[in-house]
Amino acid sequence: MAKEKAAAAKAEEKKLDSFQDWAHRWGRFGTVIALIYMIALPFIVLVTYDCVPSFGEVINIGTISILMIYIPVGISEAISYTPMLGASSYLTFITGNIMNLKLPCAVNAMKLAKKEPNTPAGEAVASVGVAVCSIVTVVILALAALLSTWISPVFELPAVKTASNYLIPALFGSLTLGLFSSTSSGRKVVKNGIVGVIPVLIIVTALALVVRISSGGSLFGMVGFLIIGMLPIAIIFSRIMWKKGVIKVVDKEEAPAEES
Amino acid sequence: MTMMTDIIKSPLLLILVSAGLLYIVGFSLVYLKKSYTHCLELGMTKEELNKIIKSSVVFSIVPSLSIVVGLFVLISVMGVVWSWWRLSVIGSLSYETMIASSVSTALGFESSAEMLTNATGTQFGVVMILMSIGMLSGFLILIPFGKKLSMSVNKADLSGDERKNSWRYVLSGVFMLCMFSVYIPVLLIGDSVQAAVMITGLVIAVALGIVAQKTGQKWINEFVMALSMIGGMASSLLWVKVFG
Repeated sequence: MAKEKAAAAKAEEKKLDSFQDWAHRWGRFGTVIALIYMIALPFIVLVTYDCVPSFGEVINIGTISILMIYIPVGISEAISYTPMLGASSYLTFITGNIMNLKLPCAVNAMKLAKKEPNTPAGEAVASVGVAVCSIVTVVILALAALLSTWISPVFELPAVKTASNYLIPALFGSLTLGLFSSTSSGRKVVKNGIVGVIPVLIIVTALALVVRISSGGSLFGMVGFLIIGMLPIAIIFSRIMWKKGVIKVVDKEEAPAEES
Repeated sequence: MTMMTDIIKSPLLLILVSAGLLYIVGFSLVYLKKSYTHCLELGMTKEELNKIIKSSVVFSIVPSLSIVVGLFVLISVMGVVWSWWRLSVIGSLSYETMIASSVSTALGFESSAEMLTNATGTQFGVVMILMSIGMLSGFLILIPFGKKLSMSVNKADLSGDERKNSWRYVLSGVFMLCMFSVYIPVLLIGDSVQAAVMITGLVIAVALGIVAQKTGQKWINEFVMALSMIGGMASSLLWVKVFG
């Protein structure tokens, strides 16, 4: 049985064409180099300025709660998009903005060339699209950064500083609608996911009301702790609702209206 | 004492960021050359490929411009160079903005703008490190398993136990939903200006969505997040006067 499996794996390996083989070897190598550089960059600067924070300052309960949100996002992105992007995954992940930029660009390139994903030709064409897209984005952002140095006095205006204080509420306002309609993960859409966090909404609303009425204050400085405390409740209740069939996972094609 | 402002304006940071971006461009060019040559080997014509390149350029411009709008927002709290770097690699606008603001709260600042003025170099170091390592989890999957995942083509979906597998999709969404479920009541109930700003952002997002749908101008969808965020922030000037 094990031998059969090994033989099947070998046969699959042989299916890789020269470009796919290059990408999984050298594309991966180039990605590792870029990753090391990205992690090293802040440390080089901080060591030079003698500002390296202690381990406890970086990793503590407040910051872990933030990291915990993003660790599953990164893992789910890798699992969901890699089968679609194939050999172009490495470049796509290193340059980021996957959902809003790279994936649509790769799909567009494959559509134009009339090639299917998961085929050698499809992956090569997707790589052309993603590479062009990455270069365009880097160039546009570089021009914008250059422009911003000319208009930098604008960022010093008191009005702009006041507005910057409200970045978080503005961000949540802009994202709320899309997030609560459905959460999307690659080709799958989670329907009614919001039901799983209803207990969290109720508990936090009650706590926030008590604090506001009793002291006139806000729980804003406590969100890190609240997220950590509420996560088990959200996971358990979502699991129950998923088992009952209230929260469903469907293919994106079945739910075209919710793609946005 | 070194302050955050010293670091974000430092020539060293600019040099390192520029070198990193040159590497990214070089890496993209090598990828482009390899894939382009391979497409020719597979029988595609130069005309076809040039059409794909042109289309990819056009396809990238609008979403990139929306990232530019986000860049300007991020610059107001983190300076030019660091914002430019973070939005050019790995992250996305929502992730970078969220982590920068959440970390500033975790460090005890009332807002990210207060952080810009008062944070020490070490405190900003925490932000830099967290922004750099926060989104790396995907690579822990991609680097060791990228090849296997590329060849697996929906093995999970074809395995016949799709129902069982679907839990991971639900679970991966729960974390983000939980964060929203904590933040939204806190913002809406805790502070009147924050609540008004959030609702304004939401209303602008809804309005832009409706305009995009009614007029058939799908490009507007690309800008919904960036514009509603800026609109929400701008509205704070009014709400501070009303409630302040």
